[in-house]
Amino acid sequence: MRRFYVFGFLLLMAFDTLAQLSFKLAGNHALPVAADLAWLLRVFGAPWIYGALVGYLGAFFTWMSLLKHAPIGPAFAASHLEVISVMLLSVWLFHEPLTVPRVLGAVAIVAGIVCLGLAESDEAEHATANGAGAGPG
Amino acid sequence: MPLLTIGLWLANVLIDTGGQLAFKAAAGDPDAGDGLARWRHMASRPWLWIGVGCYVIEFLVWIAFLSLVPLSEGVLLGSINIVAIMIAGRFLFGEKLTRLRVAGILLVSLGVAIVGAGG
Repeated sequence: MRRFYVFGFLLLMAFDTLAQLSFKLAGNHALPVAADLAWLLRVFGAPWIYGALVGYLGAFFTWMSLLKHAPIGPAFAASHLEVISVMLLSVWLFHEPLTVPRVLGAVAIVAGIVCLGLAESDEAEHATANGAGAGPG
Repeated sequence: MPLLTIGLWLANVLIDTGGQLAFKAAAGDPDAGDGLARWRHMASRPWLWIGVGCYVIEFLVWIAFLSLVPLSEGVLLGSINIVAIMIAGRFLFGEKLTRLRVAGILLVSLGVAIVGAGG
């Protein structure tokens, strides 16, 4: 079961990373932002949006399979470790600088995510000890 | 940060939280069964579709938001969704906010505040 979660979350991270990079490329291509049809046509007129769709759908089905047993909060937190992969790839692909606030912020956010992951392990152990599933309610 | 960027960021948090809660309501249904029957059960009830609707709108809001900020900054600012979803999970599904979870929520909020203030 543990291996199932690790593999599931890694797969989710890969899909999420693909989606975020594609979102950025699609958005950049469609600038300037406007709530009109022309903007939508610019978004859907470039190939990037379809990479985002693949990432989104892949993440969706992976996520729904994981959610069946994992409580929503911690599972959602674990799924957000993609901030690291996306940040590093942004430096490489988009030449974005790693500013001090971004690095400090990322460290605090990842520390927070680790806390939430630990909280999940505690919860899961209690649930196993009680012979119950990890889901709430 | 321009008003449009902040507005898109806020809209994303609200719509994402709504969508996640709808998916949890769909996936956590104890009557749903297993395998294909589970998917059929979920597809015949509104929660899954409310979640999908939120995701479609969020999809566009998020693209617009990311085109206005650097991607590394955008994904870090988007981490505030974790905080929103945990607080909502606490109130709607009675999920426990243990000390570790509160610490996690505070650290993520601090990180988002640092990135938001400093860029």
